[in-house]
Amino acid sequence: MNHFFTVSLILLMLCGVFNITRQLQMLQQNSYFPSRYTKWLKTNIPFFQFLLYFTVSVLWCAGLYTLQAAVCSAALILSVYYCFKNQKESIKKLVFTGRVKRQFAAAAAVYIILFILYIAAGDALWGKICAAALILVCTVTPITVYICYAVTLPVEKMFAAYFINDAKRILKSYSNLKVIGITGSYGKTTTKFILTRILSEKYNTVCTPQSFNTPMGIVRTVRENLKPQTQVFVCEMGAKNTGDIKEICDIVSPDYAIITSVGPQHLETFKTVDNIFKTKFELADAVKDKGKVFVNGDSTEIKNRIQGKDFFVYGTDPAAAAAAENISYTRYGCEFDLRIGEEKLHLTSKLLGRHSIINITGAAALAYSLGVSAEEIRFAVASLKPTEHRLEIKKSYNGSLLIDDAYNANPEGSLEAVRVLGSFDGMKKVIITPGLVELGDREYECNFDLGLETARECDIIIFVGEKRSKPMTDAVNTTDFDKKNMFVAASFREAMDIYSRFADSNTVLLIENDLPDNYLY
Amino acid sequence: MKTNVAVFYGCRSVEHEVSIISAVQAMNAIDREKYDVTPVYVTKDGEMYTGESMFTIEEYRNLAELLKKSRKVYFVREDGKVLMKSETVSFFKREKPTVIDVAFPIVHGTNCEDGTIQGFLEYLNLPYVGCDVMSSAVGMDKSVFKDVLKNAGLPVLDCICFRAREYTADKSVVTEKIKNKIGFPLIVKPVNTGSSIGISKVSSEEELDSALMLAYSFSDKILVERAVEHLREINCSVLGNADSCIASVCEEPFMNDEILSYNDKYMGNSKTGGQSKGMASLGRKIPADIDEEKTEEIRRLACGIFKAIGAEGVARIDFIIDTDNNTVYANEINTIPGSLAFYLWDATGIKYRELCDRLIELAFKRQRNRENISYTIDTNILSGVSFGTKGSKGAKN
Repeated sequence: MNHFFTVSLILLMLCGVFNITRQLQMLQQNSYFPSRYTKWLKTNIPFFQFLLYFTVSVLWCAGLYTLQAAVCSAALILSVYYCFKNQKESIKKLVFTGRVKRQFAAAAAVYIILFILYIAAGDALWGKICAAALILVCTVTPITVYICYAVTLPVEKMFAAYFINDAKRILKSYSNLKVIGITGSYGKTTTKFILTRILSEKYNTVCTPQSFNTPMGIVRTVRENLKPQTQVFVCEMGAKNTGDIKEICDIVSPDYAIITSVGPQHLETFKTVDNIFKTKFELADAVKDKGKVFVNGDSTEIKNRIQGKDFFVYGTDPAAAAAAENISYTRYGCEFDLRIGEEKLHLTSKLLGRHSIINITGAAALAYSLGVSAEEIRFAVASLKPTEHRLEIKKSYNGSLLIDDAYNANPEGSLEAVRVLGSFDGMKKVIITPGLVELGDREYECNFDLGLETARECDIIIFVGEKRSKPMTDAVNTTDFDKKNMFVAASFREAMDIYSRFADSNTVLLIENDLPDNYLY
Repeated sequence: MKTNVAVFYGCRSVEHEVSIISAVQAMNAIDREKYDVTPVYVTKDGEMYTGESMFTIEEYRNLAELLKKSRKVYFVREDGKVLMKSETVSFFKREKPTVIDVAFPIVHGTNCEDGTIQGFLEYLNLPYVGCDVMSSAVGMDKSVFKDVLKNAGLPVLDCICFRAREYTADKSVVTEKIKNKIGFPLIVKPVNTGSSIGISKVSSEEELDSALMLAYSFSDKILVERAVEHLREINCSVLGNADSCIASVCEEPFMNDEILSYNDKYMGNSKTGGQSKGMASLGRKIPADIDEEKTEEIRRLACGIFKAIGAEGVARIDFIIDTDNNTVYANEINTIPGSLAFYLWDATGIKYRELCDRLIELAFKRQRNRENISYTIDTNILSGVSFGTKGSKGAKN
């Protein structure tokens, strides 16, 4: 046993603790799915760690113990430096949860056990084997991450089971609490916030924060946010696999449900849209005998599958049980009549777009059946605020109106935004957009469609970037749109300069998929 | 689990004892199936105590003994919750902090009812029953109250206001002003005392000085108004918030003296054994013996006044009817009325238990409304700012 070698091992163990931080951070951010972590690892191979392993092993074989200790010291300094640098610069930092602490403890245990075995073995062969293993796990930390994950898994499952049971106990102890489940491929988070806003006119309402929609996220909300005076719990439920929604329903046992849409999201895990439908409707099965199930009739995938079943349908179809009718847009937002059975409510909202109106319709219909008055619904809907840069109405140059849809980058949403612009009757309609990006094979096709839609709905078109907007200009050129009213600007600033020539109080401008903040007047 | 209601009472106020009576009544009326009740007795020094003995009125006869049986507490906000904690007595005798869900202040008078305790609860961001800081403050200061009502077109007796030093500096100027603008007989009131403390009726100039000096011993600011010679006092309670409220039946309290004095309200009436039972035991007629038209007028005015000052919860508004011309004037508002005016609501068909329930619900409703309005912007504006010399460099870009 060489003392320099022993010192090297100790230094390496410290190295390991610092190097594993980044790996555990990524495991955490991949929601503790080893498969997703592996996927990240494949594109982020820690070459430095392999180099260190290789160097230390070679030096050991060559018997250069002093040099080895020096290399390990240097490696430790670098590891500490990079560890802190990374933690400082990361946007989403490692959160030291109980689980992370247990992982660190597991890693330390692995290191220490191997080290003790190496000391205890003296000069025996298995001591050398332990030392070799120790060098490996201390340098190439992803290996340790997998070990830690496997070792702590049974404990984590125990903790999870305890938390789930605790959440069930809490929910049971609030006998008057109503639970509302919301799921769907799109629109569930927005619908949740709208519903919570409307319900809080009358009830003490708690909803799952942000987009917490996994079983453990919901369990955490129940344990931390629910209060004895809470009357309604609005619970967003997410799914990536069949059975996910049922698992959540078994915890919270919902009394009411909203299913906002069924669409081809997470198809790689679901395989078919039928499976998605079945999974979303696990929520309907859970509610069945207790309360009503509200479904979006505008979602064709839902509409085609629920014929003859006892669901409360909402949407823009006049045949729906709760229907939005006479939709119109003004300087102040949208206006429409919500008909629920015999009752008719005239609503106004700053939210724009058909999807927003459908979400409001579903939320209002459910709130209405829970006894929130028409007056309260009207006030709550009028005070809803749009998400930033998502069809947000603002003032722009020379008294003109701006619809800021800068953060919208999906093809369907962009087409809808152009349609919203088109519905501003009697105003001069202008669009500024660089088109859509990062759509792979579909990019040309999607931009072409967007171009056609703009030609149909707008009076003046300003595209940004000659090369980028080619598919859109191609599309406009196939129509009889007056070419004098189509401009291609080199930059966003130039586009705004062109716009300023037209802008007056009767002009409405849509900025689609570009950041306008620096150009607001 | 039940909603934990912390009832705050006592406080540094001349109406300390009245508050104890009101609070003990309320604590015993709150529905225990639905709520846990935590008494928070605030001593005249402003220290806060809690304990099981505090539900019984007899215990308050010997305060030193009661405090010995209770524990001293303080309130802090931690992790989005408001906790009531005790001072650690020893390592072995550590009390677990109690989570408080809503506060129910039942305090009377200056230094508490006037927005002070409301500000404290607001600071903790704890939902609480009753008026907010501003309406409490307006309700406490009789002169500001009158100004607000006047602006809203509601009927009040005209008054003039003086500060103490203004009077002592030159008594004759003030006296002259009073004589010219108000005339005798008149009423002198400190602006911010409740329960008729420091109020006197003045029939001639000779009595004026002593009345003013008495009033100044209670407040720095006093008001003088015309005394209505032939009057009836009618009280009406309002429940709700500025968006929607209802008025109770009216009452007419009996007067021994010309003005309902503190003795009448809280000390007197010993013949009927009503001592220490508070407002509820005072001699009164419910409903007041006035015609339907007048009753409706008063109830409508009561709601109007409640909304005008932006009140919330339960309040009692005291009116004066000048019987010479049958005109109604608003006299004052009690934003936390003695005994929470439960006897008026009982006569209106709302039992004390339900009254408390509605008041707590209103507290949560206000909290929900507030949460729907954004007070802070989540991003830290300072995070993007560079300070000092670097800042001036940055400005060039």
